[in-house]
Amino acid sequence: MRFLAFLARRIVGIAAVMIGVSIITFAISHVIPADPAVAALGDHATDAQIAAFRGEYHLDRPLPEQYVIYVNGILHGDLGKSIRTRRSVADDLADSFPATLELSFAALAVSLLVGIPAGIWSAIYRGRFPDVVVRIAALAGGSLPVFWLGLVVIGLFYYQLGWLPGGGRLDTFVSPPPTRTGLYVIDSLLALDLDALRSSVIHLVLPALTLGYFSTAVIARMTRSSMLEVLGQDYMRTARAKGLTERLVVVRHGLRNALIPTVTIIGLTFGSLLSGAVLTETIFSWPGLGRYATASAISLDFPAVLGVTLLAAVVYPVANLAVDIAYYWLDPRIQRD
Amino acid sequence: MLRSARYTSIFFAAALLVAGACGPATTPGASGSAGASPTASAGGAAGTLVWYSDLSDLISLDPGVVYEFSGTLLAHNTYETLVKFEGADLATIKPGLAQSWDIKDTGSTFDITFKLKTGQKFASGNPITADDVVYSIQRAIKLNKSPAFLFTDIAQLKAESVKASDPSTVVVSLPKTASTQGFLSILTFTIGGIVDSKEVKTKESGGDFGSGYLLDHSSGSGPFVIDHWTKSTEVLLKANPNYGGTKPTLSAVLAKHVPESTNQQFALEKGDADIAENLSPQQIKALQGKAGVTTASGNSLQLVYVGMNSTVKPLDNVDVREALRTAVDYDGIVNNLLSGNAKKVQDIVPAGLAGYNDATPFQADVAKAKALLSKAGQTSITLELLVPTGPAPGGAQWSDIAAKLKDDWSKIGVTANIKQTTQAELLTTYRAQRGQLVLILWGPDFPDPDANVGPFTDYNAKSIAYRNGWNDASIAAKGRDAALVTDPTKRAAAYKEITEYVLHNGPYVILYQPTKQFGLRSNVKGFVWSPVDWTEFAAISK
Repeated sequence: MRFLAFLARRIVGIAAVMIGVSIITFAISHVIPADPAVAALGDHATDAQIAAFRGEYHLDRPLPEQYVIYVNGILHGDLGKSIRTRRSVADDLADSFPATLELSFAALAVSLLVGIPAGIWSAIYRGRFPDVVVRIAALAGGSLPVFWLGLVVIGLFYYQLGWLPGGGRLDTFVSPPPTRTGLYVIDSLLALDLDALRSSVIHLVLPALTLGYFSTAVIARMTRSSMLEVLGQDYMRTARAKGLTERLVVVRHGLRNALIPTVTIIGLTFGSLLSGAVLTETIFSWPGLGRYATASAISLDFPAVLGVTLLAAVVYPVANLAVDIAYYWLDPRIQRD
Repeated sequence: MLRSARYTSIFFAAALLVAGACGPATTPGASGSAGASPTASAGGAAGTLVWYSDLSDLISLDPGVVYEFSGTLLAHNTYETLVKFEGADLATIKPGLAQSWDIKDTGSTFDITFKLKTGQKFASGNPITADDVVYSIQRAIKLNKSPAFLFTDIAQLKAESVKASDPSTVVVSLPKTASTQGFLSILTFTIGGIVDSKEVKTKESGGDFGSGYLLDHSSGSGPFVIDHWTKSTEVLLKANPNYGGTKPTLSAVLAKHVPESTNQQFALEKGDADIAENLSPQQIKALQGKAGVTTASGNSLQLVYVGMNSTVKPLDNVDVREALRTAVDYDGIVNNLLSGNAKKVQDIVPAGLAGYNDATPFQADVAKAKALLSKAGQTSITLELLVPTGPAPGGAQWSDIAAKLKDDWSKIGVTANIKQTTQAELLTTYRAQRGQLVLILWGPDFPDPDANVGPFTDYNAKSIAYRNGWNDASIAAKGRDAALVTDPTKRAAAYKEITEYVLHNGPYVILYQPTKQFGLRSNVKGFVWSPVDWTEFAAISK
């Protein structure tokens, strides 16, 4: 019961955040000193065309009225029509969001699979060679610009060595699997399409490594410091005194406790992966939300920018909610609060 | 109890993430390209040309709607027009779907009668008739999308001005204030693409003239048909088996959306791309001499220029404007900043169009520029220079060109304060006549000198002359008259007089006409870039 009440509170919170975000974004996007109709129609458009366009998108109405029209649309499940692509924003988001989600999941998987073991390892061998290696790698991960790193890995693994593809989600002549989730790896598994599966997985490697490097570094450092703290606790000494093997002591008694701060970071990381995908997506020709958001912002495509913002306003709290739920599982003390 | 709460929480966590993943994908109508088969890629790499390009401007493939670079390139290859230009030659209008045309002065109108070739078919197999032509032109007018003004404003056409007098004859009546040459030029453009009216009518929904369907399908008679468009990823064209002209040797063309030019270069060198469209001058240089690749250049009709708002003092003084023109180091811009990737052009009609004037009297003459300023009673001037963000045509950054101008002008006592903004913001300011100096480009809407002379001279057209507050009624009238002249020699003479006048009196510093560079695999043959920004894929083999 307590769990459901907690869930309900969070969902109400998400709704409030969305209302706030939509008002702020709407207001900000309309004080930019440029006309979206000019952005869409360009240098050559006649005044009559611009006036017609402004009418079509209700840009000729007062700002509060535009907001009411917009919210009314949302309540009817309509996110509006993109000024740039002239398609429904919902369709655009449906096309681009799964690509970003797939990339972010892959990057998160890289971060967890590499970051957590590296952090543990580093803590166990504190001050010795493996620790130094991990700490240097983590420092590099925190400081290398994604844009540079992306071009370097493409240059090395695609251009020089030819081991991995240099961009896109699939090989040139591989067809996408039938759309179910929009995540090609999942969809090709569901369709048992091995060609598409192989192609989509190898296309994920470089962008996921590039995007995930920073968060891997963050997770490794966080795991290391919390593991160090845990390793010095009394219950660890007790576990060792009971005669448990070092492996069992670390994994069963240490890790679970050390992971709590890491989980917090994971929630935040996932959000930043989604938004940080902009550069990675550009370098790797990845048709995702980041690139859509950038193109929309540059062309003053308010409906699209609002759509992306609202989507982000849902995704962040949802990721954080998932983290809170994970706490429930990791730390039973929270359930008693 | 505790355990079950744990499982519940895990379930919720998983459900939330999956919901996040699937939510938008199940939005009604979400597949984007309804009916576009995602399964039909490819027919083997051998006959497929892989074209790497930045397709981010692609919003439609409908000939009545497209007015963006990517869209017109693809629509040009999927639709035929009544008349056309061939290759890079914009001087001669050649037969397309029409075998002949005849212009008659009826006293109140110019009537152009087009005779269609016989036995021509659409990709669907339907015959091409005069009804299709009438439908296509009326459709473009009624849709009233970005390119419609070419028919409605420039050619002053109304839907009822187009009639079929028999199944193979179409008559178009133009008012006598419109240029027949201009209209024929417009017909060569994608808006003149003839659609299969029988097929399109079956796809109409809610008065959209089938534009929902033609957004990502083709219904024309060009050498290629659209197989699919995967948004933000690729467009696949396949050879049209019913094409009436010389059959293309390529079986397909795959246009891949690759925004990052380094990726384009890598893919070209690896052989994954056959042609790369968006390489910088430095990348083109790097490609030269490498095995397996070659480069090609194509002309463009764009002009990069600075508009000088003559409602702003002291730009209202013709000598001040001439001083600014005189001080600029054009050769430095073309040869150093652009690595020769442009042509020095200083009048308002670009090379490649009738009426081009090759006079280039200005080149970094500081003494003369200073003399002009002192004649105008000026010693030091401070002005704002509006500059767009990103790369300019020819490959240099807009900001680099602006810095060069600032430097050149500082030598004559003119301080240009550079203000860089997005193109959208810049255009909003410029269109409202609120700029001082504005660095920007112009490309003609149709390949005829009138497409530049009109906007650059006619204040009432509310285009470039208006934005720079230059209201010179006599030159505007001369421009309008020149558009209507049909005799080529007389027309050239008329444009010579106009361009000569604007060169020294207009509010423009025309900087250069950019060249476009491409990277190609060495086995790609027959590639010709048209100055109106497209290439005939059917002429290419590999």
